[in-house]
Amino acid sequence: MIEVEALSKRYVDKDAVANVSFFVPEGEVLGFLGPNGAGKTTTMRMITGYLPPTAGEVRVAGIDLARDPLAVRAAIGYLPENVALYPEMRVEEYLRFRAAVEGVPRGILKARVDEVAERCMIADVQRQLCGTLSKGYRQRVGLAGALIHRPKVLILDEPTIGLDPRQIVKIRELLIELGRDHTVILSTHILPEVEQLCRRVLIIDAGKIVADGTPEQLRSGLTGTAEVKVQLEAPSDGVAAALGALAGAAGVHDDGGGRYRITVEGGADLRREVFRLAVDRGWVLLEMTQTMPSLEDVFLRLTTRDIAGEAETGAEEVADA
Amino acid sequence: MRKTLALVRRELVAYFSSPLAYVVLTAFLFFNGYVFWLIMSYLNDPRTQAMAPLKLFFGGTIFFWLFMLFIVPVITMRLLAEERRSGTLEVLLTSPVSEGQVVFGKFLAAFLFLWVPTVVYVLILASYTSIDPYPVLSGYLGIALLGVLFSAVGILTSALAKNQIVAAVFAFALMIVLFSLGLVEQLVTTPWLKGALGYMNLWEHMDDFSRGLVDTRRIVYQLSLAALSLFLATKALEASKGR
Repeated sequence: MIEVEALSKRYVDKDAVANVSFFVPEGEVLGFLGPNGAGKTTTMRMITGYLPPTAGEVRVAGIDLARDPLAVRAAIGYLPENVALYPEMRVEEYLRFRAAVEGVPRGILKARVDEVAERCMIADVQRQLCGTLSKGYRQRVGLAGALIHRPKVLILDEPTIGLDPRQIVKIRELLIELGRDHTVILSTHILPEVEQLCRRVLIIDAGKIVADGTPEQLRSGLTGTAEVKVQLEAPSDGVAAALGALAGAAGVHDDGGGRYRITVEGGADLRREVFRLAVDRGWVLLEMTQTMPSLEDVFLRLTTRDIAGEAETGAEEVADA
Repeated sequence: MRKTLALVRRELVAYFSSPLAYVVLTAFLFFNGYVFWLIMSYLNDPRTQAMAPLKLFFGGTIFFWLFMLFIVPVITMRLLAEERRSGTLEVLLTSPVSEGQVVFGKFLAAFLFLWVPTVVYVLILASYTSIDPYPVLSGYLGIALLGVLFSAVGILTSALAKNQIVAAVFAFALMIVLFSLGLVEQLVTTPWLKGALGYMNLWEHMDDFSRGLVDTRRIVYQLSLAALSLFLATKALEASKGR
């Protein structure tokens, strides 16, 4: 449905997007993941035709963007990162304007406006001026505007940013529903959101695709970071060495207070061995948990660059999210 | 066509839902009332020679130009610059409307907003006295042409500037240049240059039109300059995408 081939955007001194290619089949929900400034918005803007690419091709629904930009624009419903509405228009007026501009036939215009207002949960503010809406409502009005012409393809740039937790849940429900009958590209910072909404994830960093696959694939491709956390009541000496000697253990961190973290190689399950070891030595096992590598780990590992400061900001963002 | 009309409608709604429309229209009425009173007093003075009042009203005085040169940039400055600043341009230019349609829609809205209300004067005048319809018609043709030209120049600067005020100042400067070509005409002595500048003399254009003189050369000049401005505005809008 969406074909992106060798797409690049070069600014004077740097490549915002460098040679990015991917294909999104019909009906797929693709998550676009990456730190700030990675090129997510730039790529999305190039697909919508808002930003002319330096090189490369985009085809949406089989239409070449360079050849027939208006047909591509008609096929896409786009929600930009900063949803801008006309402050002096009422929500209803705005949606009617969007419908007219998107070419919705006049006869079904009213019904269509009501339909998207219902779907995006903004029916209660239809008479309100766009300028007086809260961020959450503005986001939903923008989304309603993007849906008004029933596009085959939805491109949503951080659709849940700036919403309160309750609104996020509602918007996610809507996005899951939309994913059933639309081809969707959505960008986000929020990792659980991607796992929940997307069948496929593209991680982009510094203008390049660094990972492409289902969330499960990305996680399993990243072996060696599974951990077993244990808390033991035991004499302090020799415990770390004994744990480290277990087959499959790659390393042990002593966190103090009888707490240890055992890094596991190859996705093996060490819990049984740890239990038997504790029984053999007469240690009391107070706690044991196994943690699998999360998408967060994948994301951090792939997008963390050498500069410590940058890596830290990346981690903070994920934590914030 | 329907999409262009939707754009025009939105612009007109925007004009009338901000104080701008009311401020401009009030100033316009007040100012024209004042000028009308001045002209009437002037004509009633026994020392004055007989003249057609509408000729004086449309372009015969500096007042007409003063107002025109100030008000057009104010009306056109926000059209594209504001959409770019607020980000609504991104939604508009990812909708299936061409850049040309956007420019033309906005141009049409500015033109209608500025020039439709002036028809009121003819209607008022016609209800009190018999008017000579042809000079009035040609006077309105002159005003309309000037409106087309100035609105187009205003759209062009709004397409180029990121900031409304910059757009307004730039439009004002461009209009002054266009307007002053007629004054430069009187300074130069080279015959071909004098001829060329005379062709571009907007003051004289208005003067001719208000006397009932419809000269196709003037129409061609103003319309082609307006078309050029709109074309450049479209190109500027295309080039500014994503910035």
